[in-house]
Amino acid sequence: MRSLWSSSALAAVVIAGLLQGPGTRLTYRVRVLERTGAADSARVLGSGSVSGSLDTGLRLSLRGDSVEVEALLQITPVGDTVSLGAEFFTRRLLARSRRGLPLWEQDSYHRVVRMGWADTARIHPFGRTRDPDARAIWLELALERNFAGGAARPAEELQLSDSLHDFRVEAVLRPRRARVTLNLVRGDTVSGPRPMDLLPQGPSRIVRLVLGRRATSLDVRLTRPQPPRALRDRVLALESDVVCLRVSAPNAPADQSIGVICGSLNNVARRLPLPTGDTLSATFAWPGPR
Amino acid sequence: MAGHEHWLHQIDAELDGELSLAERAALAKHLAACTHCSGARASQLEVRVALARSAGDPHAHVVPRPAIRPRTLTLWVMVAVIMGLAGGWVAYRQWGGPGGEPVEETRALIVVE
Repeated sequence: MRSLWSSSALAAVVIAGLLQGPGTRLTYRVRVLERTGAADSARVLGSGSVSGSLDTGLRLSLRGDSVEVEALLQITPVGDTVSLGAEFFTRRLLARSRRGLPLWEQDSYHRVVRMGWADTARIHPFGRTRDPDARAIWLELALERNFAGGAARPAEELQLSDSLHDFRVEAVLRPRRARVTLNLVRGDTVSGPRPMDLLPQGPSRIVRLVLGRRATSLDVRLTRPQPPRALRDRVLALESDVVCLRVSAPNAPADQSIGVICGSLNNVARRLPLPTGDTLSATFAWPGPR
Repeated sequence: MAGHEHWLHQIDAELDGELSLAERAALAKHLAACTHCSGARASQLEVRVALARSAGDPHAHVVPRPAIRPRTLTLWVMVAVIMGLAGGWVAYRQWGGPGGEPVEETRALIVVE
């Protein structure tokens, strides 16, 4: 009997460990609801979900004609519960200037609540209305966690059933790795692509690119960008999927680089002129699943 | 017509006692020949007599002007300032400034169910 109990306890610890570990996939499910007048009647204006690894955040925005609410939600598992933290950034149309231009009031603040995995959090983005029969909009957020065999790429879903409000959900995840593809360009000639997986803030790597018959060696290192200066960008972590590639000559001192290429992981080629007259083209993308 | 305008101004100035002897002589000469201007002068005089009577001085030489004493002026300025401040305070209490409700009431709220 004691052996059975200890086996069960061990199994529970292993399962709990697996659910908290890097193989766990977290899903945020969000619904936007509007009270239609009667006490308990509400209609769904839109719904969406965002999933990814446990450190994935949810960036949501809800915009109307006179108010905009944006929020970055992130969780921290605490035992069997979860601490839900939310950074809000709101803008309200306050008035119009004498020249007819809109005057906006902006606010940013932080909210934290503790909830169970099975709970639903109701978010009142414009504050709670005093009148129980007044037209009101709120969001319902539910969390799910499932075991996932190494799928690290975030995913998003969105369904809208009302066009009056602009509702969006986005996954926010700082990449642990990035797929970097390098090409050397001169005029109409392009070298073969040189793809590689790099770790942000990881060690530098020597890359050899051949264009025509000439080989060019470069020392490349992936870094994270400086924190954004704008309050909204900082609060909503708009630079979360931006990485920077520092390019320097091999064996050059650390403070002497040829240049830095920064960009999101969105498969857009970005270019850096090299002292040799060639142009280095770098494309950043999410790495494939491992 | 412009000549009549000039003489009407001169009549006004004469009744205020602001004309020189030469100007008064010129005006008298014009009034002797111009029935329109002499009629206007008579009307002006009747208006001034009516004003003097209403001010309680039927034998006045000129139209009595209301005299505002500095103390009275100061008092009324202070009353106006106090009324303005009180009105602003009442309006702010009633309707508030831009974004009048407390900021916490407009902020998002998370409720766990």
